[in-house]
Amino acid sequence: MAALPKRIIKETERLAKEPVPGISAVPHEDNLRYFDVSIHGPQTSPYEGRDGTVKHTHVHLSNVHVGGIFKLELFLPDDYPMTPPKIRFLTKIYHPNIDKLGRICLDVLKSNWSPALQIRTILLSIQALLGAPNPDDPLAPDVAKRWKEDQEGAIATAKEWTRTHAMT
Amino acid sequence: MPPAGHRPLDPSLPPSTEVDNDDRAPYTPGSSSSLSSSSLYKHLRTPSTSSLNIRHPVDLRAITYDGAVDENLVCPICRCPLVDPVLTECDHIFCRACITDALSNTKLCPIDRSPLDSDGVSRAPKMVHNQLDSLKAKCPCCASSFARSMLENHVEKYCPEANVKCPGIYSEKYCKEVVKRRMSGRGCLHYPVECPDCKETLLLVEMEEHREASCNEKLKACEHCGVNILRCKESEHHEECPDVIRPCNWAEYGCQHEAKRTDLHLHADECSFKLVGPMADTLKKEIKLLRSDMRSLAETNHLQERRIKFLESAQRASDRPMELMDLSLANLPESANTEPLDSGHEYLLSLLESQQSRLSQLSNELTDFQGKNTMMLLNETIPIKNELSELRSTQQVTCMHVRWLMRFRMQENQRRFGGSPGPGPSGSPDGGGSSSDLPFSRRLSDSAPRDIITKL
Repeated sequence: MAALPKRIIKETERLAKEPVPGISAVPHEDNLRYFDVSIHGPQTSPYEGRDGTVKHTHVHLSNVHVGGIFKLELFLPDDYPMTPPKIRFLTKIYHPNIDKLGRICLDVLKSNWSPALQIRTILLSIQALLGAPNPDDPLAPDVAKRWKEDQEGAIATAKEWTRTHAMT
Repeated sequence: MPPAGHRPLDPSLPPSTEVDNDDRAPYTPGSSSSLSSSSLYKHLRTPSTSSLNIRHPVDLRAITYDGAVDENLVCPICRCPLVDPVLTECDHIFCRACITDALSNTKLCPIDRSPLDSDGVSRAPKMVHNQLDSLKAKCPCCASSFARSMLENHVEKYCPEANVKCPGIYSEKYCKEVVKRRMSGRGCLHYPVECPDCKETLLLVEMEEHREASCNEKLKACEHCGVNILRCKESEHHEECPDVIRPCNWAEYGCQHEAKRTDLHLHADECSFKLVGPMADTLKKEIKLLRSDMRSLAETNHLQERRIKFLESAQRASDRPMELMDLSLANLPESANTEPLDSGHEYLLSLLESQQSRLSQLSNELTDFQGKNTMMLLNETIPIKNELSELRSTQQVTCMHVRWLMRFRMQENQRRFGGSPGPGPSGSPDGGGSSSDLPFSRRLSDSAPRDIITKL
């Protein structure tokens, strides 16, 4: 494999030095283009994995996130940053824009990719997608249908999946 | 580009006197040739050192910049300080190479996604270039800092650590190797010599570094006691060097005192930790011992628990009446558990004891049960065996009957069809025939009559 471009080294260094709150991305030792990512479910979303009654301040003090933590894998192709990184959810998630295999429907990961985007901005976009599901542009049609017809039920299922899959 | 023969005024360049330095003499291959070769080099070196220069394109994205670079001077694509910056129609700045690469994929500006073509890209304002040129960066060879615009010139012409062609390229040797610039003033150094310390043979060009850093046989003065020691023995020496500064023996318990190894015993008498230290040591040992004891106990406990579980399941599977006993057994440890115990050890021990007694009880039960089972089995099998032998004897009797009847029938048949005497013992009268048959049939035992039956 070709030498690691300076940009990837810089991004990795910055991710370690100034991590984005609620997001961590650590490269594999044997392949520095492959990252283990974990994203905390955004607050007040069904993926938060916590009842709204619990005070957030308490959690921040203990410095341990007790809510839903979603694992993802991220791979930077050889021609990154000219092509977008490949990202997939490893944790099961009930979301209209994420399918059973963990693939994500997000414009900036496909047609709207720009080489000026970075790993951190993309992961922030994914975290934002968790906070704002978009059933009008679905990847999992059954989830999107339920989301439109019975939003409360769908949110309840999403909360339950978060509890069972993202809180171990 | 300076004219040929011009000496650049760079202080880092080795002074010209070094050319005739005599310390080179022991390394030259032959004393007779050393004179001629040095004069040859002198002649060859004088034209210019710049003739040895190699083009060194410095990768401006790979170098280290001093301090943090202004985010506005960083290319949004390669995340490095801009190299040959260009301005787009939509007022964004990128490296020329980066934006060209990006536009070959999509004809959109990477920042605002407005349509953009390679024609819409022009050289960035002079001010941006100037700002970038004045950024301080480290030379990739000698690590000293220069303005970025001067870097390439420095590496190409002055940096003492940068590689240049070996001066030997102009001699009969036509040496194609490269050397560091600071070594280039001494002629071609690409011939093998022996290290005076370790007797290893190396190229002369590598000798300096070898003797400085890696030669194990080189003597080195100990930094504490000043005694000369072999470099490879340095760490061993430090273990026993009398002048090495060592912490007090009880440093781990909080004594801050540090002294030379030889003076430590003076401190030992007045150390405020001299009483506490040994006690703490013994306590530490005790704790360690207890820990290991506890661990082994926990292990045996675990093992026995597993055995008990196994035995319990075996019992449950085998017998129902045993379950009653099981219940009575289960009550036993429970009562033990409820006893108030002050320490974890005692609790663990009591648990262990109760489980041990339970285990022995269980194994006793199991042997009892096995005995009972074998007795029961014997009781049931003996009548069956008797019955079997009875049946066998009756079968023999019936076999005899059948045989006798068969013979009788055959004899009758023979008599009826021609009366010729058959080849068997049938010629004798009935009484004699039956009496001679009996031992025969007995000798054949079971198999003979069965054969006859199957043939019928």
